[in-house]
Amino acid sequence: MNKNPTVVVVDDEDMVLTSVRAFLSLETEYEIQTFLEPERAVEFLRNNLAEVIVSDYLMPGMTGIQFLARARELQPEAPRVLLTGHADKQSAIEAINQVGLFHYLEKPWDNEQLLLIVNNAIERASLFRELKEKIAELSTANSSLKAVQARLLKAFL
Amino acid sequence: MVGARDLDASKMAALGSLLAGVIHDIGTPVGAILSNNQVVLRALDKLKDALAAPQPDVAAALKRLEILRSLAEVDRLACSRIGALVRSLKTFARADDVDASDADLNAELAETVRLVQAGFGKRIAIQTEFGEIPLVHCWVRRLHLVFLNLLVNAGQAIEGEGKIVIRTARDGDRVIISISDSGHGISPENQAKLFSTAFTTKPSGVGTGLGLMIVREVVADLHGGALRVESEMGKGTTFHVSLPLRQKSTE
Repeated sequence: MNKNPTVVVVDDEDMVLTSVRAFLSLETEYEIQTFLEPERAVEFLRNNLAEVIVSDYLMPGMTGIQFLARARELQPEAPRVLLTGHADKQSAIEAINQVGLFHYLEKPWDNEQLLLIVNNAIERASLFRELKEKIAELSTANSSLKAVQARLLKAFL
Repeated sequence: MVGARDLDASKMAALGSLLAGVIHDIGTPVGAILSNNQVVLRALDKLKDALAAPQPDVAAALKRLEILRSLAEVDRLACSRIGALVRSLKTFARADDVDASDADLNAELAETVRLVQAGFGKRIAIQTEFGEIPLVHCWVRRLHLVFLNLLVNAGQAIEGEGKIVIRTARDGDRVIISISDSGHGISPENQAKLFSTAFTTKPSGVGTGLGLMIVREVVADLHGGALRVESEMGKGTTFHVSLPLRQKSTE
């Protein structure tokens, strides 16, 4: 891959977005895309590939779970991380299975842990996408082999 | 007549119901500042590396400076958030007022709203539609208690998500403050009992039954104002508080 991995972060708190952006751009070369409104992030994901998606839980308009469900539809291979306040823990845990969460991180978060999770998620996303490419290549190879086989059968039988 | 102890009990009950949210709203910026502090130290180390290299990396240094600047901005925002909440809390910690004084009720309402909004969190959206109103000669700390009680009640009437709208307007030699909620409403028979002592439909530990009695006493008995309630089951409730601009007894 030639492009730097993209990290999408969604939170209705500007403070959180700026902190995460500052930390990740200090420690990594990733492209950090931050959004105050989940709808905007959905728009972005419609048109751009992301390697990991981090979202707050309680936001006006759309919960983090609803947002991550949309993200999963658009880019199933991008791991989803929920970053949430302690008070929302119960509802967040209940929703984990609904969106196939890669990780759950509680606020206030530990920066080192966040970095570890983001790195792992990116690795996973690249492996998934590579696998998808290989499978696509295999199925192309398979169908061209089938075509050759069909022609051979036609020629010799 | 409600005594000082009842005033305190009612104030504490109302404030207590907001406490978890207020703590959360102070905790979030404190967490941001602490986390930023680590990042600032790392950024400074990296800035030093970029500048101390035999060939100083100006681009990398500038990038780190930009990060440091954004962190300073977050810290400023975080501190002003905490400061504003502490200011609102102070409003209620002060001793009761002895004399009436001129007050800007829009500003006083905004102070109460800040605290109540922190208490409710994102569950409830509070909208203010403040009209142009003159200064009102009043016992402002008692009125804070009125606003606090009405707003906390409004919030407790809403199950799940909802909205509270606060309006102020001048009406001749009076100001009208209206607080509307999108809550479950009050039945006609309960409306009749609303302002009487120790009436509550809330579970024990949530309501003292003192809140609205104090509201009535502060508005009607102390200020010579009036209270009116409009409510529809399942739609919501509006409390209208009407206050005279001047107090006859203290002029």
